[in-house]
Amino acid sequence: MPIRKALITAANPRQRTLPLQTLMDQNGDPKSALQIVLEEAAGAGIEEFCVVVCPGDKTAYAEACGALRPRVRFIAQPTARGYGHAILCGREFVGDQPFLHLVGDHLHVAQGTTSCARQLIDIAVSENASVSAVQPTRESQLTSYGAIGGKLIGGDHPLYQIDTVLEKPTPTAAEQQLIVPGLRAGFYLCFFGLHVLGPDLFAILDEQHAAAPDQSLGLSPALHALAARRRYLAFSIAGRRYDIGAPYGLLNAQLALSLSGRDRDRVLTQLVELLSVRADTP
Amino acid sequence: MSLRVTDLIASADAATRDTAIDSWCAGRSVAQLLADCVELDTYRRRETNLYQRVRALFFLTAIHRYHLPARSDLPRLGRVPYEGFRHLLERRFEEAIAVFAAAQAAHGPSETLSSALASAHHALAFQTLADQVRRTVRSTRGNAWMFRLGHPLDQPLRVRPELLARENATAPFPLLRELTPVRMDLTHCGWSDIFFLGMDFPEGARVLNISVNLGVHGRDAAPRPPVEAYFRVIDEPVIRLASVDLEATATLTSLDDVFDFGRDYLGLLKAAVIAAGLVPPGIERSGASLAELLATIFGPGRGFELVSNVNRIPKGSRLAVSTNLLGALIGVCMRATGQIRALSGPNDETERRIVAARAILGEWIGGSGGGWQDSGGLWPGIKLIEGAPALPGDPEHGISRGRLLPRHTLLGRDRISAEARQKLSDSLVLVHGGMAQNVGPILEMATEKYLLRCEPELTARRRAVATLDDILALLSAGDIRGLGRALTENFFGPLQTMIPWVSNRYTEQLIARTREAFGEDFWGFWMLGGMSGGGMGFIFAPHRRAEAQSRLLEIMLATKRELQASLPFAMDPVVYDFAINEHGSVAALLTGADALLPVEFYQLTVPALLRREARDLTPRERADVAQFTKTARTAPAFTAALPTLLDRLLPTSSETSRTTHTLDTLLAQNGFDRAQHEQIRTDLRAGRIGLAMNRLAPSTRIEDVPSSDLFNLSSSDGRSPLAGDRSASRTPQRPPAGSYREAGAAALVRGECAVLTYAAGVGSRWTQGAGVVKALHPFAKFSGQHRSFADVHLAKSRHTAALHGADVPHIFSTSNLTHAPIEAYLRAHFSSALDHTVFLSPGRSIGLRLVPAVRDLVFAWEETAQQKLDEQKEKMRDSVRAALTNWARTVGEGADYTDNLPGQCLHPVGHWFEIPNLLKNGTLSHLLAARPQLRTLLVHNIDTLGATLDPALVGWFQASNATLGWEVIPRRIEDHGGGLARVDGRVRLVEGLALPRESDEFNLTYYNTNTCWIDIDRLLALFGLTRAELADADRTAAAVRAMAARVPTYVTLKDVKKRWGHGQEDVYPVAQFEKLWGDMTGLAECANVFAAVPRARGQQLKDQAQLDSWARDRSAAAIEALCKW
Repeated sequence: MPIRKALITAANPRQRTLPLQTLMDQNGDPKSALQIVLEEAAGAGIEEFCVVVCPGDKTAYAEACGALRPRVRFIAQPTARGYGHAILCGREFVGDQPFLHLVGDHLHVAQGTTSCARQLIDIAVSENASVSAVQPTRESQLTSYGAIGGKLIGGDHPLYQIDTVLEKPTPTAAEQQLIVPGLRAGFYLCFFGLHVLGPDLFAILDEQHAAAPDQSLGLSPALHALAARRRYLAFSIAGRRYDIGAPYGLLNAQLALSLSGRDRDRVLTQLVELLSVRADTP
Repeated sequence: MSLRVTDLIASADAATRDTAIDSWCAGRSVAQLLADCVELDTYRRRETNLYQRVRALFFLTAIHRYHLPARSDLPRLGRVPYEGFRHLLERRFEEAIAVFAAAQAAHGPSETLSSALASAHHALAFQTLADQVRRTVRSTRGNAWMFRLGHPLDQPLRVRPELLARENATAPFPLLRELTPVRMDLTHCGWSDIFFLGMDFPEGARVLNISVNLGVHGRDAAPRPPVEAYFRVIDEPVIRLASVDLEATATLTSLDDVFDFGRDYLGLLKAAVIAAGLVPPGIERSGASLAELLATIFGPGRGFELVSNVNRIPKGSRLAVSTNLLGALIGVCMRATGQIRALSGPNDETERRIVAARAILGEWIGGSGGGWQDSGGLWPGIKLIEGAPALPGDPEHGISRGRLLPRHTLLGRDRISAEARQKLSDSLVLVHGGMAQNVGPILEMATEKYLLRCEPELTARRRAVATLDDILALLSAGDIRGLGRALTENFFGPLQTMIPWVSNRYTEQLIARTREAFGEDFWGFWMLGGMSGGGMGFIFAPHRRAEAQSRLLEIMLATKRELQASLPFAMDPVVYDFAINEHGSVAALLTGADALLPVEFYQLTVPALLRREARDLTPRERADVAQFTKTARTAPAFTAALPTLLDRLLPTSSETSRTTHTLDTLLAQNGFDRAQHEQIRTDLRAGRIGLAMNRLAPSTRIEDVPSSDLFNLSSSDGRSPLAGDRSASRTPQRPPAGSYREAGAAALVRGECAVLTYAAGVGSRWTQGAGVVKALHPFAKFSGQHRSFADVHLAKSRHTAALHGADVPHIFSTSNLTHAPIEAYLRAHFSSALDHTVFLSPGRSIGLRLVPAVRDLVFAWEETAQQKLDEQKEKMRDSVRAALTNWARTVGEGADYTDNLPGQCLHPVGHWFEIPNLLKNGTLSHLLAARPQLRTLLVHNIDTLGATLDPALVGWFQASNATLGWEVIPRRIEDHGGGLARVDGRVRLVEGLALPRESDEFNLTYYNTNTCWIDIDRLLALFGLTRAELADADRTAAAVRAMAARVPTYVTLKDVKKRWGHGQEDVYPVAQFEKLWGDMTGLAECANVFAAVPRARGQQLKDQAQLDSWARDRSAAAIEALCKW
């Protein structure tokens, strides 16, 4: 079944301006982070987009969409009630089809020519299951991501059957619960900010919201529950994610984009020059 | 097919595997046993299974330690290669074994080499076990990440945002508090919670463990969780630590500070910070900045404060206070960083398990260790803790049969009803008997005996394991009387069969006196933890429990007073109030006015703040003072703290002056020679005397003395030719035609012999400086009762007297430290004999200990061979030594050591003085007047239990016409301290500390037992005296002074305990001087003869850890046979 819709969350009140930051894309064109995210999804066959934003952000976001603006809907999350709740806001838009979910503060750079979103959608379609993109991540960065535990499924792709999902686990919990045979010690499979999810997720979110209506609704607990009910996979993408909300995240993302694009040599030259001048300066 | 020794380890048949090595060895020859050793050695090198390897090592130990030496045809004499000994000290056990084995192949087997091989295999076995436990602790899931972290930016922990929420920028942050009970165990099934046992025999590892709240009866209003840990963020990039009970605080500003455990009393808190992952072990020595690491967790410029409090529960309670405190501290740190989900309330099972695993890690980091049940206080109520088999996926799988961490089964009210719980509370009186003990050797003994499958210990272990089911059934049924009976039987039955040393005279007197006082209403005794004397339980009929609480305290206090000179007590006994804690470790987040630390914390810290200018205080300090002041207006506990706080502002010196006054009095009473003392101090400070100066010149020729130069008691049975001292001025006479034994017996019948036992010492090594009278220490049971060294020596003399039909005068030479207690003891127990056949020779010399010179500390720690410890303990020791060096510098090298109880500041000045004292104090004169026939004196150390008036030796010595006769034994590896040598051609005894090189001692075949035969008249002549002239005190004193000037003075370092707080102890090295009687052999005009005697006669008991092997090798039985009770 083709995946035509993408749900993008950008409603974190503490990071509401991140998707609006301007970067140079791989072709050296200035674009907002949001536009880069939308274009990646569009390149993977997505036709309709929905961005969940904070109330009052719609105008600014609309301006940042670039040429894809006509295909983008905005839904305001009335109050900040958690990541899972933001997803739940997109339920009507998604309908009863599987959808691509991206986060507004992550940019992805593929290793090869196939974009990260394309790789994920291809796997999800061929496996006919919910699939989250993951990246082996050092335990020191566990505080920034959701992480999974599970086992490797044989085959051509680095695909894992998920049995546990924890949001920003401590290394103590990760070591005990997020066991993935074959992974290097001290590394965990952390989310990439890219998922293909089925509409059954909304039912789980509903249940969890109903069970604790006063609490912030997370996505990871719902994904953990999903793993217990359905075949839910993780796919180690051939690419890297860049969290532009992390310290120096925007800089890193820019460098990654530039070093994998048209202006690679120019940026490298500037970097070397910078290093020669500043490297030994405290 | 015939059985091989390795089948006892590897057989598929359980009965074969459970065969004791002792049974296997019975009847085997030396050659067969040596062949077994070869087979075991090959096996243990090939075998991959950890426990089978370790069993082979223990088998090798047992064969070399017990079975080969028991064979009469094993040669006694050999030499331990010094190279192997150094390997042993450096913990290179495999290399040591290789060197010893090569020596055995080259020179043949001997008792000496077997002792070295036993020692090396024993150490390797325990090292292998300890390494495995540590590897498992490190690789336990949830712990491993901390060893990978090497840079502050890698720190993945973040403080919980709730702990950063405060009203304004100057207000204190919220306070996180963890309250934790302690644990008591109804039975540990024969120390089955030792990690090694649980990991090899999980099905036998079972403990019934109860979490309890505690209060000191009569002091505290009600029992409460005794362990408290507090955590709060602070606006300084440092770690602040405070232990309320130890009255210690520290501010850590660097990573090195965190890993420096011995610098202060806060090692446990530091271990918790590390084990909780805040400062992970992997970052040690990385050179990283602590502030940077803290910034990653707490934000820039921030740090945290950790405070501990155990509500003055004394140390040694056997309730695992320190492990549960460590658990509470780790728990609170883990909550603060989200490693435990809930910020308040109890933990879930997964969280309790990870905290327990971290506590094990923390104990390892801090260089201590307990059993796996010790963190039981983290769990609620009553629980069954059992070993769990290692399954695929466990880090232990394929290595050990059991997991490191046990399985906890909470026993709810369906298993043990509320009524039964109440009944237990209504009958049990928990106490701390006040004794200070080291339970470590007990745990090693239990491990070794289990692995050797010794009988009757194995049967006892099986009984102990089965006892748990009985105890559980009785508890479930609410049959507390039956429970009391079962616990008593467990103590007197299986536990004492396995390890007799768990009991002592104090405990057994308490039991007997309690039984006498309460009759049928005393239902039973319960040993808490590893051994008795500290934490204990007494079970009574409920209607008499209240009475029992006060009566038992009286009994304990009275018994302690009777025994405090002979057993090490750290404090006065206390009775606890207790209640079962049904919650386990529970946390609470305290904010605003409720964010109060324990009142004692403010008592500790506020005085220092008040002394400073208000404007210099940080906002946190100002807030602390303000909060304390505000609370003191309303909370009675805080109001009551104000006087103490004010006292601390103006410390008084009354206690110091009182101590000094008593010390001065003691010095004056005991003939302290101030002039001589000042001379020693001047010499010490100038470097004219010191440890390095004790040694003979490097050019001194040290040679071994062949056995042909000695009289050999064992081979000749008193009938061989005499081999005398060729270097003496007089050639020994040929032996008489008759046997020495007959001549000696005749001399005994004529009443020509007396015995003198050195009893001036306070057992520095025996009780690690606890200052008890070693002579009175009831160290072992003989004929069903605990007996002291003095008892044994008197029983031997009684036996000799009975055999020969003549009195044997027995003299104890005492010092100021020991005279009064020994006299009181003899008066109480031997009143009819005292002053008739038993005499005291009071000391007439005393020394005042000095703060050591740093150069001597360095010499002792760096220039002499030292036992290297395992990695963490070594770090701890280095840290303590740095602190002690600093102490010596700060207090002043060579200054008088007066900062302790007066008795601990004084020292006896060496046993050389004890014989001259006999001359000076009139005891010899009195004896000779009453018994003019007396001509021979046997003098020996208090711990040389085998020394007797053996007729063969009496005959030999009297026939030798020598002034002094000395007994030596073939050396074993544990025999240090000098020996018999030819020094520049003269055969004499030489002290270990006087040998030019440490390696010289290893070339000496014979070890000095310090047992000496004295010909009274020849000795008097040597001193220039006659029997008649002994009455002239001045002349005698002058003669002694002249002789004293001719023997060397040694400076030594001794460990002295300083006790403080609630059962806390510190050990300080102090300098003292001594002269030793063995140096009489260096005087040209003193005719000496030497005899080699069997080990059973000459061996000394220096360390309580020796007791078990001393009993196992039948030395104890041999001593018993010499006694008449």
